[in-house]
Amino acid sequence: MTVLNQAPLGDGFLAPPRATLNPYAISRAGGWILVVVALMVWELSARSGLVSSQSWPPFTDVLKATAEGLYSGELSGVLLSTLMRMLTGFVIGGAIGVILGLLIGTIPVLHRLLSPLVEALRPLPIPAIVPPLILFLGIDDTLKVFVVSLAVVFPVLINTTGGIRNIDSVLMQTARTFRKGPLYRLFFVTLPAAMPAILAGLRISLSLALVTTIVAEMIAGSGGVGYFLIVTQYGMQPAKMYAAILCLAALGYLLNRGFVLVEDRLVAWDRRSEVSA
Amino acid sequence: MRKFPLGLASCVAVLAIWQIVSGMKWVNPALLPPPSRVGPAVWDILTTGSIIDPLKQTLSLLAAGYCIGCVLAIGLGLAMGINRHVYNMFEPIVELLRPLPKPALVPPLFLFLGIGIATKITIVALAAFFPVLINTVQGVRSVDPVLLNTARTFRRSMPATMIYVILPAALPMIVTGMRVSLGLSLTLVILAEMLVGSTGIGFLILDMQRSFAVTDMLAWVFILGVIGVVLNGAFETLERMSLHWRSK
Repeated sequence: MTVLNQAPLGDGFLAPPRATLNPYAISRAGGWILVVVALMVWELSARSGLVSSQSWPPFTDVLKATAEGLYSGELSGVLLSTLMRMLTGFVIGGAIGVILGLLIGTIPVLHRLLSPLVEALRPLPIPAIVPPLILFLGIDDTLKVFVVSLAVVFPVLINTTGGIRNIDSVLMQTARTFRKGPLYRLFFVTLPAAMPAILAGLRISLSLALVTTIVAEMIAGSGGVGYFLIVTQYGMQPAKMYAAILCLAALGYLLNRGFVLVEDRLVAWDRRSEVSA
Repeated sequence: MRKFPLGLASCVAVLAIWQIVSGMKWVNPALLPPPSRVGPAVWDILTTGSIIDPLKQTLSLLAAGYCIGCVLAIGLGLAMGINRHVYNMFEPIVELLRPLPKPALVPPLFLFLGIGIATKITIVALAAFFPVLINTVQGVRSVDPVLLNTARTFRRSMPATMIYVILPAALPMIVTGMRVSLGLSLTLVILAEMLVGSTGIGFLILDMQRSFAVTDMLAWVFILGVIGVVLNGAFETLERMSLHWRSK
């Protein structure tokens, strides 16, 4: 998102030097006013009975349910269990993805051997593999962690391989000229040079991991936010349901933000603009 | 040209291992029927015509939701990319909604739109919307200013500049966003069909798992995989074409 936050070229270039108000200040404020108005419409439509529906609680009720749920531990426990499954799957899948990606990226025979297989498996929609796996792994944590790892492996693998294949060949030739061994090249040339691509893959996978965890919990429900959402939907507890969604949005945002911070630290030298995915 | 056989070999190897593991009963064949039984099941589904209805259901949902999502996203994305005020107006709300995992929106949509087709189309459109929007905005913003200045020098009107300069230059980014959202959309169609309703491939797969029709279930998973590969492949071709055309 860093790219989006930049002003377009020439922005403010011709502005009179003593202009005190940024010409975009109004629309910038307008964006937040829009958010506030949307929330107020939500609140009023529910309170006034304009939309009198069991499934449309006022926004303040949702906030109250969020606070209560987090305080009493009901919601926070559910969120925590989802987060744990997600992170376990993410770490396992990420590690496998990076290692496989390094192998496939550095050994040409492996690339020829495995990339068609990867391309064949990758587009399979995650929900489709949950039912067959339930037969083997049951509906407990093993299943969910496995599914999340599987979902995480592919973007990381693809990005790692792509990153390695795009390394400037001069780098590798220089290392070879100085008679550096293959291990040295792997750890001091290949890995650092491919790091931006690897981290981008991991960042994409992080949000994918959250989505996948929730999908798995919805289909093979036994706990977690996905299951909680389904239960509160059927149980007609919309305030609790929206509270969970609110927390998920916050969780998704924080995870992404946190990862971007780590990424900026690790590859601060990389100035290539990124393609969001 | 030696590339293809090797890749094929690895696919064949996987099938062979699967066949052996299941055929030798190292894994319970009731849970994992060998390819020699799944293959004919796929063939049956294709030849008896029982593929038509579920396929039509799933693909039409996907197409409808995906097109709505993409059109809205490209429209808003162009406006946000071109006009700073529009961008400022919508940025906060987009940034608040974007990190939300889309499957979480399935339950509230059921409450609102019922368990009919509207829910499924909406959720697919939502899934498609954000990646395309972000990529369109970035694509428009990264248009070479020289192009824009040239258009201005020749006094091209805004709509003409939009159609002949901005859109073509931003197209590769837009297509990339569309490919990313295609995968997400497919995921959400299947999920929505599994969670509610009684039609489509997603419903069939879950239904067969519950009734323990494992062979047919795997056959449908295989078909779904083929659909994924085909759609993805088609888009990658499109992406390459749009890139190639720009580099000229």
